[in-house]
Amino acid sequence: MLAKGIREEGRSIFNYRPIQIRHSLLPNAEGSAQVDIGNTKVLVGIKMDPATPMPDKPDEGNLMSMAELLPLASAEYEPGPPSPDSIELARVVDRGIRAAGAVDLSSLFIEEGKVWSLFIDIYVLNYDGNLFDASTLAAMAALQNTRMPGYEDGKAVREGSLGKLKLNNMVASCTYAKVGDKIVLDPNGGEEAIMDGRLTIANDENVIRAMQKGLPGSFTQKEIEELIDMTFEKSKELRGIISNSESD
Amino acid sequence: MGSSANKPELIVNGKRLDGRAFGELRPLKIVAGGLKNAAGSAYLEWGNNKVLAAVYGPKEALPKHTQDPEKAVVKCKYSMAPFSSLEEHNRSGPNRRAIEISKVTREVFEKVILLEDFPGSEIDIYIEVLQSDGGTRAAGITCAAVALAMSGIPMTDLPYATSVGKVGEHMILDLNKIEDNYSDADMPVAIGPRNGEILLLQMDGTLTKADIKEGFNLIYKAGETISKLQREALRAPYERIQEKYKN
Amino acid sequence: MAEKPLRIENAIIEDEKTYSSVLGVYHEDKSSLIPLEGLWYPRRDDIVIGIVEDARLNSYSVDLNSPYKGIIIAKFVETRLQRGDVIEAEVKEIDETKTVVLMRPKTLIGGKVMDIKPSKIPRVIGKANTMIQQIQDGTKSTVMVGMNGRIWAKGGNVALATEIILMIGEEAHTKGLTERVKTFLTSKQGV
Repeated sequence: MLAKGIREEGRSIFNYRPIQIRHSLLPNAEGSAQVDIGNTKVLVGIKMDPATPMPDKPDEGNLMSMAELLPLASAEYEPGPPSPDSIELARVVDRGIRAAGAVDLSSLFIEEGKVWSLFIDIYVLNYDGNLFDASTLAAMAALQNTRMPGYEDGKAVREGSLGKLKLNNMVASCTYAKVGDKIVLDPNGGEEAIMDGRLTIANDENVIRAMQKGLPGSFTQKEIEELIDMTFEKSKELRGIISNSESD
Repeated sequence: MGSSANKPELIVNGKRLDGRAFGELRPLKIVAGGLKNAAGSAYLEWGNNKVLAAVYGPKEALPKHTQDPEKAVVKCKYSMAPFSSLEEHNRSGPNRRAIEISKVTREVFEKVILLEDFPGSEIDIYIEVLQSDGGTRAAGITCAAVALAMSGIPMTDLPYATSVGKVGEHMILDLNKIEDNYSDADMPVAIGPRNGEILLLQMDGTLTKADIKEGFNLIYKAGETISKLQREALRAPYERIQEKYKN
Repeated sequence: MAEKPLRIENAIIEDEKTYSSVLGVYHEDKSSLIPLEGLWYPRRDDIVIGIVEDARLNSYSVDLNSPYKGIIIAKFVETRLQRGDVIEAEVKEIDETKTVVLMRPKTLIGGKVMDIKPSKIPRVIGKANTMIQQIQDGTKSTVMVGMNGRIWAKGGNVALATEIILMIGEEAHTKGLTERVKTFLTSKQGV
């Protein structure tokens, strides 16, 4: 079917499945969002804790991303320590957000020797392909509704509205699957099961912020440059979806 | 990326801090063989990087649940010795970065090794960074490729790797640690020289499409040198033996 | 002689070009590739030397110093084999799981087993068995050579035979090897 340029659900090769974003689902977290791309469901929770800054960046907060491929998300996932896949997912999403400077790290400064550590926790609830894009979208959406906690006596104070987290940029990623010599955007679970190679490109409005090729399948330089062009086009739509979905 | 407050000037008078031109590789030396127990091994010095790679197998894949009845499985462990960096002693045990690097390195070799020749078996690739100065994953891949060739495990290609980055308006090749820390972007790439196909690609920072295009140009050009050095390293042990009996 | 690390057994053919997948020496004049490093690919009728690993109800599993495991179907052999037995056998076939089915096992008693790289075996045998003959004559040992890189030697000067075989393993690709082996054997015999 892929050979004819037709995918399941009648989708064309460079289209996303239906995307749904839900904000602020978790009142105990500083910020949260769930993104569904087709049947893939990823929930991101944002927490902030007071911490000591890194010695080379005393006036900036820390950003830390982790991902969990929950056993309930797929028959293939098992409980246990983070797998290389979950580590890769977290690190790639983190690099896109960090390189884009999405979070204003200096706004996480509290006082001398104290900054906020901001934790981006990616929880995969259901796997049906393309965790990278769903996770990046969910992380950006969650960051968008994240509220700064107060700080008192060395502890975070989470009651009351204390203003939103300052964001300087927005990033979105596009993930492509290579099957033989055909390339498709937003692979679903079935397509990922047969793909040879995978390429994720994270952009903001002007520049490329992160890239990650995964799986043994190779790409040519020409393919990469073409996918970069496509990503500028598509990630604009994605960033638009995040902004428009913002809720207060 | 380092703090912008103390950001050093990485390019002074059109040259890099270590005097290199933008597209210039650090000195690279590769020695094939050396570890008797391994099926294949190699040692590499690249700038101040010192990397050792060893290959074991193919042998029966254990535990049994890791076996694939149709082909060999590749297991790869990249690790940095506790004494490898100028910074403090590294805690032992794989960290998340090492796990990710092990994964992307494994994927390079899964592409080029003829896995179907050895169903049910495993091929182990060990990369130990003894001293690090930027570009260690590229060094590891370049070294491991030589170790694999020494082991006799059949491959479709002999991959090499290096990195490019951006400083100011310039794309530069083969970043050392300082450049890696303070550059505006870092892009490690592994190539299969037979077809020029890209076997590893990662990037973070700020790059335009034009930057990336230029980066690839620098990489392919440097690749000719890296690949040549790999092949020379592979010839050397045999030539040494032949030399002994020249007369 | 064009000496360059090529890669292929053994060969991959792509776009009408043949590429080497293993390190080898390519002789342009003879269009032949001699692998420098290369694993053993079991072929029907190959003679192998193995060590019995496991004696099961209907079969024996045999270690062939290779990722390819050997198996002997018990009902086709008369001799009872035991764990640890060194055997010489013939490859009957390789099944879909790439298990090597062996037949006509002969137990080798005593002697010494050594493993070298399978790619060096042709050199140990020599053209029309000349090298192996030279070794046997020079050391008075009985030597059995397995295509899987495993060699068994017994009787006579086994230590000398081992030394020569390992030397061939190191220098298999060089010129003038046959002469050097001859000289070495002669010197050791004090003739």
